[in-house]
Parts: sequence; C-alpha cells; structure tokens
Amino acid sequence: MLRRTGRPALTGVLSAALGVAAAELLAAATRPAAGPLVAVGGAVIDATPTGVKELAVRTLGTADKPVLLGGIVFVLAAFTAAVGVLTVRRRWVAFAGAAVFGLAGAAAALSRPASMSYDAVPSLLGAAIAGGTLWTWSRSRPASADRRAFLRIALMVTGGAILAGGAAKTVERVRGGAVAKSRARIDLPPPADPAKPLPTGVAPGFYSDDLYRVDTALSLPRVDVGTWSLRVHGMVRRETVLSFEDLLERPLIERDITLNCVSNEVGGPYVGTVRWLGVPLAPLLAELGVDPAADQLVARSVEGMTIGTPVATILDGRDAMLCVGMNGEPLPIEHGFPVRMLTPGLYGYAGACKWVAELELTTFADFDAYWVRRGWAARGPVKTASRIDKPRPFARVPAGKATVAGVAWAQGRGIRTVEVRVDDRPWQKAELLPVTSSDTWVQWRYEWAATPGAHTLAVRATDGTGEVQSEDRATPFPSGATGWHTITATVE
Amino acid sequence: MRTTQLTAVAAAILFTGSLAACGGDSTSDDAPAAAAPMATSAAPMTSSPAMDTMTNFGAGCSAVPTDSSNPGSFAAMAQVPVATAASGNPVLSTLVGAVKKAGLVDSLNTAPAITVFAPADSAFDKIPSAQLKKVLADKKTLTSILTYHVVPEKLAPADLAGSHKTLEGDEITVTGSGMDFKVGEASVVCGNVQTANATVYIIDSVLMPKS
Repeated sequence: MLRRTGRPALTGVLSAALGVAAAELLAAATRPAAGPLVAVGGAVIDATPTGVKELAVRTLGTADKPVLLGGIVFVLAAFTAAVGVLTVRRRWVAFAGAAVFGLAGAAAALSRPASMSYDAVPSLLGAAIAGGTLWTWSRSRPASADRRAFLRIALMVTGGAILAGGAAKTVERVRGGAVAKSRARIDLPPPADPAKPLPTGVAPGFYSDDLYRVDTALSLPRVDVGTWSLRVHGMVRRETVLSFEDLLERPLIERDITLNCVSNEVGGPYVGTVRWLGVPLAPLLAELGVDPAADQLVARSVEGMTIGTPVATILDGRDAMLCVGMNGEPLPIEHGFPVRMLTPGLYGYAGACKWVAELELTTFADFDAYWVRRGWAARGPVKTASRIDKPRPFARVPAGKATVAGVAWAQGRGIRTVEVRVDDRPWQKAELLPVTSSDTWVQWRYEWAATPGAHTLAVRATDGTGEVQSEDRATPFPSGATGWHTITATVE
Repeated sequence: MRTTQLTAVAAAILFTGSLAACGGDSTSDDAPAAAAPMATSAAPMTSSPAMDTMTNFGAGCSAVPTDSSNPGSFAAMAQVPVATAASGNPVLSTLVGAVKKAGLVDSLNTAPAITVFAPADSAFDKIPSAQLKKVLADKKTLTSILTYHVVPEKLAPADLAGSHKTLEGDEITVTGSGMDFKVGEASVVCGNVQTANATVYIIDSVLMPKS
C-alpha cells in the first residue's frame, strides 16, 4: 500500500517543493513581491470575508501569518501528493497539475495591488520545474521496485529544494541589507522651508523618542529606493511617475507635526510628535491638474494597503506632504521608508500611508479604503484630546506644591486653553508651554496645592475654534475616542 | 466543560499579539493582519510575554466566553487595557459598574503595569444588597475598596504568593501555589488573565481593607 501510493505521493510533493523553492529563489533575486507563497497568502487574505479574517486575527494574533503560510503549504502538499499518485497512471497529469498550481500562483501574484506582468514569471517557472521533475521522475519507474534508486532521486530533489530555498533566504537577507545600505547612502537635501526653531521654554518630551508604530503591513516592506517609484493617476489631467530623485529635486518643507492613532484610548500612548521632512502635496497635485469631481486621494502602499484622504484636506493649505525624512534622517524602514504620506489633522489610518507607491485620485463614492471596508469612518479628522502624564495614575504624591502636567492636541485647530479639575472643584486654567505650530501637541502644566488624601484629577482642552473637548465617552471605533482623561492620585 | 476550558486556554496561548488597541508586540517585524488600526513598539505596553506567563488557569475560567470574537474572551481581553477589557466581560459587570462610579476607568487603563484582583459578579452577590448599594453610592469608600484590589506591578503566578502592598496602602496576603491560590479569604477562580497593561486574577469574594 505504502509503496503503491506513498512513493508517488512523495514524488509529487518533493517535485513541487523543488519548484516552489526555485520560484522563491527567482523572486527573491528579482522581485520579492512576486514570490508565490507571499502572493498566494495576500490573495487568500483579500478573498477572506472580514468576519472570518478578524476572527483569525483575534484567535491567532501574531501567529496568523505563520498559520496562513502553513495552511497554504499543507494544501499545496495535499494537492501535489494527489498529482504524484495520479501521475503513475497518466503521466500527463504531472504537467496538468503543475500548470494548475503555477497558474494559481501567477494569478495570485498578478492580483496584488502593485503587481506587474513580470510577477507571473516565478510561479510559472516554478511550475515548469515541478512538472518537469515529476514527469522525468515518473519515467524512471517502474524502478519503484528499486528502493535505492528511488531514495537517490528523492535525496537529489530534496537537496535541490533545500539549496534553492536556502539561497532564496540568503538573497532576501542580502537584499534587506542592501535596503538598509541604500537608506544609509541617502543624502537628504536641506529643506527649502525649514521648521521654525523650537521656542525656549519647551519642556523635555516635546519630541517623541520612539514614535508609536502603526502596522499596516503583513510583513515589514523593505523597499529599495533605487527601484522605488510613485505613480500618480486616476482623475488627474496628467498622470505621472516620480522617482525618489524626482521628489528630492522639488522644494522640501520641514515641519513638527503630531501624529496619532485612531485606536488610542482616552489617555493612551499612541500619539507622538516628530520633525518631518517632505514634499508638499498640494503644489504637486496642482501641477497634475486634479479633476474637481475627485474628492478622495487613495494612497496605496507597496504591499497593497490603501488609505483614503479627502482631497480637500490636502488642498486647504495645511502641510500635507510626502515625507522622505524623520528627525533629520531618511524615514526609518518601519515608518515607511522610503516615502510615506502625512496629513496633519487626520488620524494615521486616514491620511498617513506608509511605503507609499501610488496616489490615485478618485471619489469616496467609488472607493472604500482598507479600514473603511472594516467599518471605520471614511474621513478621520483628529478629535481634540488631552492627557495627564504627571502624576501617573494611582501615584503617591507628597503634600504641598505638586505639578500636574501633560499634553493636549487638536492638530490644525490648535489648542487655546487647557483646564484641570481637582475632585469636584471648579476647572482651573493650566499654563500652556510655547509651540510654533497648530499641528503639534501643546505641553501644559498646573501647579497643584496638593492636600493629603485621595484625589481625582481631570483634564480638558479647548481648541483654537473655541470648542471644548467632548466629555462624552466614545470608544476608539469607529472614529476615535473621546472623554476627559481622569486619574486618581493619593497625596501623603 | 473540560473542552471549553481547553479551548479557552488554547485561545489564550495562541494569542500573543496586538489587536484592537494600538498595542503590543515590539520585537517582531511581522504584524498580524489587523482588525483595527494599530501600532507596535509603543511605550510601556506589554511585549509578547512568554507562553507560560500567558496561560490562565482555574475552574472559573470556564465562565469566560471562549468565542474569541467576543470582547469578553481571553483573546480579546489581552489586546486592550484592563478597564476596557473588563467592560467586555459578562462575569465582571458589577465590578465594571463600580469602577465607572468611582471614576477609575482611565487610571486603570493608563497605569503602566498592574495586577488586578477582580471580584466576579458572584462575589458581589455575597454582600447584602442594602450594604452593596451603600458602598456603591459612597465614592470614597468605593475607591478605597477598589484600589485595595490593585497591586502596582505585574504579578505572574510564580510571584503571587506572599504579601503585596496595594494601591489603597494596606497589604494583601496571597497563599497557595501552582494553580490554587487564596487572596485573604477569597479564592482565585480564574488566574493570570492577560490584558494590555494588567494581569488579572478573578476572585470569588470582595476584599475589604482593614482601615
């Protein structure tokens, strides 16, 4: 029994392994996005209904990707085992089976948002190798009786698959190093319009040492700046493709901007301020001639993430930009190297696409971006918010003069006042530290005459338009949390 | 029952990542395909605890929903800060109401690393309803009772036995070992439940501070 089906099945699986490994090697050496495993994984994710996908993410967490790839490998193994068995009777099945999985891989690769026709090549080549191996191998039977001959070929094919797979991994690592090197070699030109110098009186912590990281990628994209380009298309008079050099030749602006995540809870940590360097987007779009009917700019990342931003927010005079630098250096890889978008005043999910590869002018009626399809609000203006950073919740504070301090933000509108409330006493105005722009958070502090006992401290901000931060408690979903950050501290 | 527990434990073990909040995994390059816009490597949140510290235990765990899409499940709770996590959990509704009444939601959510001994609804049922009503109406007493259930550090099961100073100021004493612990007179019915910023032990009686 085992000899009758076991060996042919193994023959099928090993031939396929060789083919897949060869395809991965070719992809790694030429275009990593064209690798059949990653391409099929991406296609499976896209085809999976949101409910099922969220369930998978909830149950599997960070293990979702290995589980997905494991599942693909399992299905592939089962399929190719069957092909191997069927090939014993009809040898043409070897090529038919290989064609099926080759075409599936090619179709998946071509279905990726940023694909090109070449992306079909690794899968098709892999299929040809797998089919050829299986065909040739099945010819060497009925030497199936000869266990040694079978083992010899099996070892050769396995060895080939391992070598190709190992080479693919090595190439990936070398390319990753090359991306890091290409980043290190970038010499960013000085900004034509530098950020205003930080005023005196700014307290430590104005800049975030470690900007929170929003993950939009299945795996962290490593983009070689030499091959990167940005395609601008859709509802524009003139479509264009820009290289990284093209971007750097344009006048650059440098700005301090606070960016925050829509998923941040009241008082949460997912907000930060850094110094950005980038190409202003409004003049670029003006040159290309945006169709007045286009109300949405969809930024698409190299791995297919889509972020939809109202065109009006880009053209209304704010510093919407294509960022090339952060804190005086090229963008860190995890923050979107080589280029990310940034729209001050919008949550990241609605205006700050990382690893951007395409800008498409379209309408909100015609296209729902990634998070919108998952129920989040189509437009993501930042809600006015404030946070107490000192004292920490449940802190024990010595009686006497104590400083209550924190940050408040309403990018674009700016912060007019911040007030602190101790227990049920009246709201007291906090001191605002200086800022140079309405697009950053404002540091505030309040001198508190702390008396012994347990106390509740609350904070609220009023934005530049005079509107007071909402007291109503809203969850982050679907358009950002609201509520006054309220903590307790014990004075001793 | 056994199967349910196993499923719950399996779900808790499998789930190491970051989901609804912008929280989680600070070491890996690879992020899960998210159900919410989210971040990695943010400031003082948990970073992929080792598996053994992820495993919850106790007979009472079977009362926790196992469907991971339920916000009260272990998997969902691991991804959000503790007060938000508890608010999704049907066995903690009285506690959540009390936390809201005392105005402790943000403090619990934004405290960097804490352990919460969370009395289940059945624990509050042991208190005569007139007395419970009175306590819930008195913010000061309520606050001291609630903060008596919080220890300002994350306690793994291995560190649980012993005396711990609570946020209220008094100490609590935990006895027992393995998967069998008592906090004062209260038994841990479901232990080592992970939330984004706190480790939670669900207990079957409300703890009362001496003062």
